[in-house]
Amino acid sequence: MTPAEETATPRELKLMSRSTYVKEAALKNLFLLCATMAVAGVVLIFLFVGWRGWPVFSEVGLARFLGGAEWLPTAGAFGILPLLVGSLVVTLGALALGAPLAIGAAVFLSEIAPPRVRSFVRPAVELLAGVPSVVYGFFGLLVIRPLVADVTGGLGFGPLTAWLILAIMIVPTIATLTEDALGSVPEGIREASYAMGATTWQTIWRVLLPAAKIGIIDAVILGMGRAIGETMAVLMVVGNAPVFFRGIGKPISTLTSQIVMDMPYASGVHRTALFGLAIILFLISMGLVALVRALSRFREETR
Amino acid sequence: MLSAALLALLAGCNGGRQHAADQVIVTGSTTVQPIAEVSKEGFEKAHPGIHVLVSGVGSSAGIENVIAGTSDIGTSSRDLKGDEAKHGLVDTPIAYDAIAVIVNPSNPVNGLTKEQVKAIFQGRITNWKEVGGPDMEIGVVNRDEASGTREAFSKIVLDKERFDPTAVILPGTGQVRSVVAQAPSAIGYISLGFVTPEVKALAIDGVAPSEEAVVSGAYPISRVLHFFTKGEPTGLVKEFVAYVLSPDVQDRVVREAGFIPVTARGDGL
Repeated sequence: MTPAEETATPRELKLMSRSTYVKEAALKNLFLLCATMAVAGVVLIFLFVGWRGWPVFSEVGLARFLGGAEWLPTAGAFGILPLLVGSLVVTLGALALGAPLAIGAAVFLSEIAPPRVRSFVRPAVELLAGVPSVVYGFFGLLVIRPLVADVTGGLGFGPLTAWLILAIMIVPTIATLTEDALGSVPEGIREASYAMGATTWQTIWRVLLPAAKIGIIDAVILGMGRAIGETMAVLMVVGNAPVFFRGIGKPISTLTSQIVMDMPYASGVHRTALFGLAIILFLISMGLVALVRALSRFREETR
Repeated sequence: MLSAALLALLAGCNGGRQHAADQVIVTGSTTVQPIAEVSKEGFEKAHPGIHVLVSGVGSSAGIENVIAGTSDIGTSSRDLKGDEAKHGLVDTPIAYDAIAVIVNPSNPVNGLTKEQVKAIFQGRITNWKEVGGPDMEIGVVNRDEASGTREAFSKIVLDKERFDPTAVILPGTGQVRSVVAQAPSAIGYISLGFVTPEVKALAIDGVAPSEEAVVSGAYPISRVLHFFTKGEPTGLVKEFVAYVLSPDVQDRVVREAGFIPVTARGDGL
């Protein structure tokens, strides 16, 4: 396009050339496609799991499925209560151990560590997230389990071993997000606290943690999601006995590990029941995400 | 990897037995896996251009595959059950497998009766002192229900009665063995072929698990490993089955995998 042409049609100055327009449009649609794929993935999985699992509520019955105390597929008993309890026990225990650890690490990284230490510790924490869960499982099976067995007696399979492994596994999730939350506390608040003569500890405990509270709760909830969904590592150390919690050193099973244990041979109602377990897991995850979103909204409103 | 997947896909589309003439697809029992893998190598070397695809997916899946026609041979460590018998599958026994009841080498107990083993795995005997050992709680390690070894153990030892539901369940032979090797109070069961010196195999009803004892039928916990084909094997599949039954595989591969050759009996079964 020559300058002469441009002056001839001034309105076209605001428009882009045809090739740029095509490129822009193509990119816009490409990104739209990416976003659509992500949503479609979730929707399709949900529909598939729902379609395969829904019949369980009529074939087994809602009360016998959710309230049944026995998971004995070969005998036709599909009560998921022991598994639900198992998942809760494993998840809550892991959070009780892992959350303080992770929050402590985040406080250290964000408020205390000198830059050189931080540049070493932060990648180490992030690296924890990259370790495959089967490696955590093997570590738990061969190293943690015998130590637990010495303490609890028995073989060392059970909630305690799973707690220890999961506590380490959820540290990166909670620590990274907690660090973000602390980082978003305005610098002025810190300065004001120190100016009032507060010590580092007083500043962290009385000022920063309360200011970042909602972000930290977010982090813990996402860590909880990670813990409840973890499968392989739990499967290798929890003992996989589908019975009620009887002690920290006695085998139990969880929703996720039971799905993996049973899937290879399940057929008929049993397979449907496993998809039913997946529906329950899906609903729990959705509940946790909804909780996080509600909290984020709350945080923005109060700011 | 990709080509294997494509071939398998191709085989599936053709409805199975008429697929590409230069390959044999073998799927099934993870117990039979070592035999199938090594046989594959020997067979491919002897027949250039031929591919044998082997994958260990479990006995049930192997039988399902051969019925569906997606595999030429379904390997299994158990007999056909229920509906599986209605599809005209032909059974070729290829080896014996005995199940060893294993304990930690530090455990002074050297033998149990089959009844005692049953009682232990059902949770009716819970302390080693009840069977002549030290005062120590028994740590029972069971296999998952997908396991062919559990299937055989349940049938032979427990008469299909319930296992103790509170026992630890582990999803693999290797895991059972390493836990028993580590834990002084543990008891588990694995194929005799996978027993290593890090664990101790118990005598059952006074018979130590050995090849002679398995072949003679004296050792009570043993089973036959099978190749299942849809109808009598023909062509390449027939050649592969014949190769697995040849002394080359039976006396070398089968033995080295820790199993007992089907030809050891003399009558070829």
